Amino acid sequence: MSRRGDWVYENNGGTCVAIAGADYCVVAADTRLSVGYNILTRDHSKICELADKCVLASSGFQGDIKALHKNLAARELLYQHQHNKRMSCPAMAQLLSNTLYYKRFFPYYAFNVLGGLDSEGKGCVFTYDAVGSYERTGYSTQGTGSSLIMPVLDNQLKSPSPLLLPAKDAVTPLSESEAVDLVKDVFASATERDIYTGDKLEIVVINKAGMKREYIDLRKD
Amino acid sequence: MVGKNCFAIASDRRLGVQLQTVATDFQRVFKIHDKLYIGLSGLATDVQTLYQRLVFRHKLYQLREERDMKPQTFASLVSALLYEKRFGPYFCQPVIAGLGEDNEPFICTMDCIGAKELAKDFVVSGTASESLYGACESMYKPNMEPEELFETVSQALQASVDRDCLSGWGGYVLVVTPTEIQERG
Repeated sequence: MSRRGDWVYENNGGTCVAIAGADYCVVAADTRLSVGYNILTRDHSKICELADKCVLASSGFQGDIKALHKNLAARELLYQHQHNKRMSCPAMAQLLSNTLYYKRFFPYYAFNVLGGLDSEGKGCVFTYDAVGSYERTGYSTQGTGSSLIMPVLDNQLKSPSPLLLPAKDAVTPLSESEAVDLVKDVFASATERDIYTGDKLEIVVINKAGMKREYIDLRKD
Repeated sequence: MVGKNCFAIASDRRLGVQLQTVATDFQRVFKIHDKLYIGLSGLATDVQTLYQRLVFRHKLYQLREERDMKPQTFASLVSALLYEKRFGPYFCQPVIAGLGEDNEPFICTMDCIGAKELAKDFVVSGTASESLYGACESMYKPNMEPEELFETVSQALQASVDRDCLSGWGGYVLVVTPTEIQERG
């Protein structure tokens, strides 16, 4: 097997999910960090709080992810100093897209899901590819377990088609606790069948009261 | 997928060549005998050839033994047939489902060179297999009655193939109990 000497990326695995509700947003990710068939740590957070109502979950190459999160956090701080307020979620969404496309020809190996509340207090979720193409949706998942989880979210949360008129809201009518239960269920299923997903699940819930964090144990095998 | 004294086997209906859809009524689930079905995903020509070879072998077996093949035996037959072509394989992944002794449900799947994988709950194969694993894992419950099993399999199939551009154009679900066979397109 010939090995190219110039492959600079590696996939550290993991899965991220976000679900938007009428007045809340749930962002969740597992905490396993792997390389090949080895586990490096069972306790690595993939979630970054960028602003008081905006949370980013990323899976992929952790080196690029750490750099990306640091970059965005610094830009958010600059915005705070210049505008005397924190960045809103849709603004951060655009910033993330531009940051990713800036490195179009040497991309961040990061698959992102941004979740939070928009300026009206409604839940919003933005989903990205590695070079910054993004879309606001009602729910999304990225990472090694995403192909296992996405059909289940489709089945439970199916968004109305964006082609329908009048334009219907993409957020789910489920309550906050129902959405959190759904997230726990899908991660339990993904953990069974995906070797890179497991150990612990970190769930962040954003609503108008603030941000709440919860940890759930997953299978460690 | 296995239920209470019954099983369900399902497939999509699309036949395609990369982006182009060639048929929307392609049959992938075949009957071997009343209580034994095989689903084949992969290269269409191999699907049809393998099916013809297996029916041939089963008919010979019926003539010699004067009875139907047990699902476990049939699974071993498929495995042997696939391994015969170890260095020039059939590009097919079979899913076998049947009711064995005492109408006990039996399911198994194989890779294209015959490595059997028995399961107690569900087996999947095809281009949407990862999505199917996720959907089935979430929706499966042990000991489902035929009606509930039918609903579960339909929902899991629909959700998974909708996320796969190479699968779709309708589904076909078959639920088999010791007394009756229920087909829905």
